[in-house]
Amino acid sequence: MNLTDEARSVLETSMRINKTDESERQDIENIVASMPDDRVLLYKNVVSNPIGDIYRYSIHIRIQHMLTFVTFLTLAFTGLPIAFLDHSWAQPLNSMIGGINISRVIHRTLAAVMIFSMVYHVVYLFYVTVIQVIKGSFELRRSIIPTLKDVTDFKEDMQYFFGKREQRPQMDKFMYKQKIHYFAAAFGNLVMIISGSSFIFPEFWAAIIPASSASFFQELMRLSHPHEALLALLVIAFWHWYNVHLAPGRFPMQWTFLTGKITREHQIEEHFMEYLRNLVELPEEREYLRNLLDARELSLETEDDLRVAEEQI
Amino acid sequence: MNNCSLVAVLISLLFINPAWGFEDDSGCLLCHKYPKMGRINEQGVKRTYQVIPGAFSSTVHRNVPCTDCHDYIKQLPHREVTKGVSCDTECHSIKNPSTGKNFSHKSIYDKYKASVHGREKIETGLNADKPYCVTCHTNPIYNPDEDKPPKRIVDRCVVCHEDRKFVTNWYKHTSRRIKEVKRSPKEIVEMCSSCHSDKMLVDQHVEAAKKEGRELGKKYAIAVESYNESFHGKVTRYGFTKAANCLDCHAKKDNYYMNVHDIRPSRDPQSPVHEDNKLQTCQTCHIYADENYVELDPHPSSKKENSPFRYYANLIYGWVGDVVIVLLIAMALIETWGRRRDGVSFCMRKGSSWWRKSKKSKGRVK
Repeated sequence: MNLTDEARSVLETSMRINKTDESERQDIENIVASMPDDRVLLYKNVVSNPIGDIYRYSIHIRIQHMLTFVTFLTLAFTGLPIAFLDHSWAQPLNSMIGGINISRVIHRTLAAVMIFSMVYHVVYLFYVTVIQVIKGSFELRRSIIPTLKDVTDFKEDMQYFFGKREQRPQMDKFMYKQKIHYFAAAFGNLVMIISGSSFIFPEFWAAIIPASSASFFQELMRLSHPHEALLALLVIAFWHWYNVHLAPGRFPMQWTFLTGKITREHQIEEHFMEYLRNLVELPEEREYLRNLLDARELSLETEDDLRVAEEQI
Repeated sequence: MNNCSLVAVLISLLFINPAWGFEDDSGCLLCHKYPKMGRINEQGVKRTYQVIPGAFSSTVHRNVPCTDCHDYIKQLPHREVTKGVSCDTECHSIKNPSTGKNFSHKSIYDKYKASVHGREKIETGLNADKPYCVTCHTNPIYNPDEDKPPKRIVDRCVVCHEDRKFVTNWYKHTSRRIKEVKRSPKEIVEMCSSCHSDKMLVDQHVEAAKKEGRELGKKYAIAVESYNESFHGKVTRYGFTKAANCLDCHAKKDNYYMNVHDIRPSRDPQSPVHEDNKLQTCQTCHIYADENYVELDPHPSSKKENSPFRYYANLIYGWVGDVVIVLLIAMALIETWGRRRDGVSFCMRKGSSWWRKSKKSKGRVK
């Protein structure tokens, strides 16, 4: 496979960071060279374990996701019946939870847990980033921070879906969808915390905001809390759950949030750059790929071999 | 005797109680015990003048003789009634045990008369929309708390007070008053809403005030709907009791039972929601409230004419939400369609999701 400049740079950086020695480097170059140029063939032919092959998320990230996910849903179910009281489902749902006296305690307690989860995440992220920077292994494009490449990735992916392109773009560890979702969740979380605090501590916000805008701020927060909650719930229900549960190949569910592992076919299809790093970091993955390419006769041969093969057909 | 008449007799037996519980010294029941006692008045409304002794003897006025309130009755059979009972009438038969004077509701009645709700018993025009005493004081004839005084208590009292009937009556009297007798916050909101959310009634008053050049409260026309939209309103309607209801802000704090009769408009300096008193009122619950805090709107409304800022913010939020959801769903659908054409299947089979044939590119090597 002829690597693009971007992919070549990812590979070289990864080999440098991992201090790959010469023999291993040769091994990596060989396996990369023997991969078919048509990446579609690669992810269509690998064999994946449904619960995941390649390690992706640490236990901390999984705990943070779990905390956010459980608290968010319970917060939504205890809060929405109050905001949308006049809707037919609101009162039955509220009674099911135990009435306002119970649901408000649940809501406030879990809000604290959700804030803890956010703080835990930020502290953890800060810590690992500092460690990576010190070690010299920090890569911006491997992180969740959006780059210009995400815009081209999005464009190229759409072209692929509409049949204008042969292959999906070679995306990094976090693709454009995940970045949108991550920052939407982070922004939403912040909005919910600030607006929620303006419900529970209105005096505090009125005291620090000038009198001329205190009322506007409070009004905006009163609107933001239910609107943002509903938007988040709809995004989760119609988009996030689609992506991780319903999308073809992910049904009935992607196990990553529990096992921390991603399937091989998914990694190659949507996170090819990360797969290149996996080839550098995991000798057993190289071994697996080599065997697969041989077994399925997918190795990229010389042009003469191809001609012979065509004549035989 | 057929079944119907048997049922009728049985039902009427319920009301024939030898101990009526009140003294009918003036003989009013001679006529007023009859169910057919009534007439159709000038407005064509059927009025019943029957007094059911068993029911009346359960009301708080059971010990008051009829003519104490109906003091215009001087002879029997009486003349046409034009005035009706007014609640500030002085009772001649009941003494106020604390003062020794004749009992009367006059002091609270005067408070009420001075409030924004004050009116005469017989009113015409817009004033007739205001609540009279009995609009709120429905004087329920059944109170579960005084249904059956606990034997434990009566037994203890009769040791000195001897008369079991006297003790039972005392128990009923005090239990109705000592127990929490005010309406729950939810009921208070419902009570106030019964008039203030009546659009026709409110509109008439707004119209009349405009015509007469009278000032009305800024939130008068939207008081109930905006309260219902507020956080206070929502949790109170769910039965939460610690959030502010109408009376928490609109009645002064020092004596609840007195001041709920003395509701005043916000332009009245005596009103707790008057500009000068607002902060103190907010501080009853929000103890850290400062002068900035009173700027917050306790009656938020998304109506354009009331709060354009909130109206447009709400509108923009709605649109942004709709657009985001539509775009994301579109993206998910495009992605599914694109990948399906390439042969992806929903479920993984033997370690691959790509076991279907692709219309677009090479498929999986068998």
